[in-house]
Amino acid sequence: MINESYNLTEDDELLKASLNGDKNAFGEIVNRYQKMVARTVKGMLGDSVFAEDIGQEVFINLYYSLSEFRREAKLSTYIQKIAVNLTLNEIKRRKRFFSMFSQKANNEMHEFEIADHNTEESREASEIVNKALLAMDPRFRIIVTMRMLQGYSTKETAEILDLPIGTVLSRLSRAQEQLRNILIKL
Amino acid sequence: MNTSEIKKMIISSLNADADTVEVSRKLEEEGISYNFSSDFGDKVRNKLFSAGIIMNREVEFVKYMNFAFYRIALTGIAAIVVLLISIFLMQGSLSFNSFLGLSDSYDESIVCLLTGN
Repeated sequence: MINESYNLTEDDELLKASLNGDKNAFGEIVNRYQKMVARTVKGMLGDSVFAEDIGQEVFINLYYSLSEFRREAKLSTYIQKIAVNLTLNEIKRRKRFFSMFSQKANNEMHEFEIADHNTEESREASEIVNKALLAMDPRFRIIVTMRMLQGYSTKETAEILDLPIGTVLSRLSRAQEQLRNILIKL
Repeated sequence: MNTSEIKKMIISSLNADADTVEVSRKLEEEGISYNFSSDFGDKVRNKLFSAGIIMNREVEFVKYMNFAFYRIALTGIAAIVVLLISIFLMQGSLSFNSFLGLSDSYDESIVCLLTGN
């Protein structure tokens, strides 16, 4: 259960309380940032059951690395970095695993479950977005996820991915080209 | 918003000067949102607690192992030192033969001992 009194507390105070062993304070951090993590993880891995496990790992890693967080960046950026790293690791792990099996199994890597949506239109829109994202190269997919789903600027994307702005801009243009080609076929 | 408009919006979100905040808001309005299950927070807390208990046990086990290792190692070193001293006192040297207990024996007596002749 999350303590109601933490609803309006600043991230800094939540961090201090979490470091002092206050589990409710950490619960509020999870509550506050779980949707942001869901967008990154599910955008990258598809809306699958594995995505939720990775999401949980993000917050477990965060909990054990709280003392290492130097507060030079925003907490959201720090969490986002953990989410991106764990998701990219999972993609690499899956690629290695599926490369040992047939092409059929390889295709299964891209299968995902469509979450419940209210209308047929929103279900269709989600399907288009998910299919397009999963058909992309992971290097470009992460850029699209950061821009399109998270709404980050080029500078913020570069900071989270630890890339120079020039690299992000060049990947953006290549991602746009790839996305256009994929969306034509959908 | 129909699918072709959504496709256009997705592609335009990758323009360097695009208003990405507005794009992500519009996509969410269209039902393209991502969420974890409602009990996600509880699952994280449960994993953290159980992981904490396992980690504590692991840390304790490693501590006990280190302690046991030092005790065994010290006992072993002490036994070796006592053995060396006793060999030196009994044989008068620490040569290879004295380690094997052969310092007082001649080659012939060893052959006799081994063959029985």
